[in-house]
Amino acid sequence: MANRAQIPTKNSALIAMIADEDTVVGFLLAGVGNIDIRRKTNYLIVDSKTTVKQIEDAFKEFTTREDIAIVLISQYVANMIRFLVDSYNKPVPAILEIPSKDHPYDPAHDSVLSRVKYLFSAESVASGRR
Amino acid sequence: MEERHFIPESGGDQEPSQEAVEVENRREVRLQPGAEEKLVLQFMDSLNSYLSLSHSLSSTLGQAWMELASARHSMGTARINTSLLDLKFHPASTTLKITEYDVDSVDAKAWFVLRKWVSSEEDEDSNSTKSSELADDDDVVVRRERAKSLSVFGILIPPKLRAAQLSFERALETLVEMANMRSSFLYSFHQLHQEVEDTKE
Repeated sequence: MANRAQIPTKNSALIAMIADEDTVVGFLLAGVGNIDIRRKTNYLIVDSKTTVKQIEDAFKEFTTREDIAIVLISQYVANMIRFLVDSYNKPVPAILEIPSKDHPYDPAHDSVLSRVKYLFSAESVASGRR
Repeated sequence: MEERHFIPESGGDQEPSQEAVEVENRREVRLQPGAEEKLVLQFMDSLNSYLSLSHSLSSTLGQAWMELASARHSMGTARINTSLLDLKFHPASTTLKITEYDVDSVDAKAWFVLRKWVSSEEDEDSNSTKSSELADDDDVVVRRERAKSLSVFGILIPPKLRAAQLSFERALETLVEMANMRSSFLYSFHQLHQEVEDTKE
């Protein structure tokens, strides 16, 4: 059947993180940290020295790895690569934008909620045409 | 996967195009009584849950950061930072199980289940039911895995760091619920979007 989303069923998938140090440390305390044999991690700590290119590369890597089910990304970091985040539309891994200590969560910037707003504007256009 | 057959109108000799088959399949879904209303309710419900959970997450994370800051204050900044993390091979103790939900529909949706503090020695494919003795072992495993996670930051662990660990675990649970709500309203969104597109045709 055309355009059917493929959901890979897995028993042991990872949670990836692209966030500030405190958020990453906290979730590592909760046991989500993974380091494979090649010393690849499932997290990127973003600080003042982290470049946009590094964030983009990490996002692309985490969203294409088959062992990752959810990618947590601080919303202020997602804003740096907004085009990339907004153009992502696969069901897995799920991208969740989270607040950070200095930047509270803003639903208006969330890529998934922005996509939903489009539906309502399309609906209003469609009803206006009837 | 369920197959749908296109039955051509009588007198037609030409085979239907693939696009016509897909449009007819979508119309079959659209014409089911109450289906559209159900989708709208599902969409609004899961969207509302997602927004509520995001507020809850902000609150939980705020508490977690505060506890982490308190632990850092008592232990010293050098004792709680990422430079202490080594790059030795170790698997994650907290992982996710993904299942495919509603496999008969055109657009499947993912469902996430959090698996906290799974020992690296545990058999991933084991589905056996556990006796009460083994349930006690689970508590031992959880305590051991939690302690292993904390040991990165030293031997004497202050209560605030343990509290921060629990808060981040709660945040993880909320995040997995959010992922499921996201999956649910995106699924409904795609179905409704298809309805809007069909209406425009």
